[in-house]
Amino acid sequence: MANDTKKRFGFVIDISRCIDCRACLVACSVENTVPYTHTRIWVHDQGVKGDWPLFNRTFVPYNCMHCDNPPCTEVCVSGATYKNKENGLVLVDQDACIGCGFCVEACPYDVRYIDEQRGVVDKCNGCFQRVETGQMPACVATCVGGSRLFGDFNDPESTVSKALKNAKSVLRLDAKRQDGKSTGPNIYYTNASVEMVSLLTSDKFNQMEGKVPEASEYTVSEELWKKLIIPVLGLGIAGSFGLQAFYFTKQLIEGEKDVEE
Amino acid sequence: MSSNQTVPVAEQKRLREKLLKKHNVANIITHWFNVLIWLMLLPTGIAIISSPRLGVSPIWMQEWFRNMFGGTANLITFHYTVGFVWISVLLFNIFVGWKKYFVPFAMHRVLLDKDDIDWLMIKPFQMMGFMKDKPLPPQDAYNGGQKLYMFVVILGSIGIMISGPVMVFKAFFPPILKQIAQPLHFLSVFSIVAGILIHVYMGAIFPEEKEGLFSMFSGKVSAWYAKMHHEKWYWEKIQAELDWEDEINQKIASETKEHQEIPLEN
Repeated sequence: MANDTKKRFGFVIDISRCIDCRACLVACSVENTVPYTHTRIWVHDQGVKGDWPLFNRTFVPYNCMHCDNPPCTEVCVSGATYKNKENGLVLVDQDACIGCGFCVEACPYDVRYIDEQRGVVDKCNGCFQRVETGQMPACVATCVGGSRLFGDFNDPESTVSKALKNAKSVLRLDAKRQDGKSTGPNIYYTNASVEMVSLLTSDKFNQMEGKVPEASEYTVSEELWKKLIIPVLGLGIAGSFGLQAFYFTKQLIEGEKDVEE
Repeated sequence: MSSNQTVPVAEQKRLREKLLKKHNVANIITHWFNVLIWLMLLPTGIAIISSPRLGVSPIWMQEWFRNMFGGTANLITFHYTVGFVWISVLLFNIFVGWKKYFVPFAMHRVLLDKDDIDWLMIKPFQMMGFMKDKPLPPQDAYNGGQKLYMFVVILGSIGIMISGPVMVFKAFFPPILKQIAQPLHFLSVFSIVAGILIHVYMGAIFPEEKEGLFSMFSGKVSAWYAKMHHEKWYWEKIQAELDWEDEINQKIASETKEHQEIPLEN
């Protein structure tokens, strides 16, 4: 595994059990005092599929995937968003965050939003405050259909590990970072039908509105900074350091004979 | 330094002992205030930038500073609190000393003239080993290089002072401005830092400019140094001295005249 966190918390979502009741959205918003204009969880409706009389309709709930190699923490300038070394949750330190939105653009799953009121970035924190006290996240605790499961993937005895073992199908919505690394999302979609799996991984799905995942985007400012400003200034600083180092060495070798002109 | 051949030893000694005032107290205090603040802001600022994509600071430095201040948020708070002190004191100094210090300084010491441009055309080549025989034009209180760097510092400081508050007052500014502010802050700071390496070396270590360092404490340089490195400014100073002498002489003459007239009336 790329990121060796002690625990690797994540979700298992049984797609076949989700009925789009959106109780998880409400529970999450209440637990984390999310502003009315935003949610931290979304349910993607795939629409009615199939021929009469065999209709089916699938809902794909998603929230922060707490990736193994998160693209968002990589672009955060100050480290205000980071992957917790203890439990592997991707968190935002909102006292340090200035809400520039580099990470919002970088996230392939679009799970981050800017809270304009406070000027900070907000997202699912895996209900860190509940998990620490041994409770399940609000969305998992409230899920009526038992679609959502939460636990430690590093522990083979956890509910999520067992659910993965017993699943009919497992789907991970992988995305690529700019450096070619796979994000390694920690939401595993289980028990999706074969058609659903092929749909979720198809190009057609990627072109849909509210698609998940999209390509990781990097803001112009961040790219400019990385690719132009740092190399140019690096050269400038190295040049001026080299210049003074040259004269200083010369001075050391030749001595200070120039002082008494 | 070939002109010293023609100067007699006694004259050299007299010039070395004679002191000319180069910096006023306002400049000296502001300069060392700046040094103090930059020593606090630069390391904390570098330590804040922890993005592995940018790769500006080493991980040990990031962790050292985060441990020292107790987390990213506290480190950032320290950085912008000191930055706030820097901005307010600097602006206060500029506004309070506007007429007495700032405007004269900006008008007489910062602007580039023809000699400075000639100097800038010759000096870089001389440092690379060419045009050694070409004489350098006489320089003001600051030479062409110093003046050029002063523009970098002024523009950089403005950049820092604008981009800094944009990032601090995060709820008042839209994300796009905060996105632009970060590279701008970086660009401004490190343009200044590139020059600071030369500035510190020339001021504190380079033997020919040694007096420059001491003048930043006492405010005074020897006439010899002034004549050698800042000739135009040296003659200005001498002219000012002569004018002052004339003025005093006139005053004395008029006073003695008055004294002579008094007994005649009685």
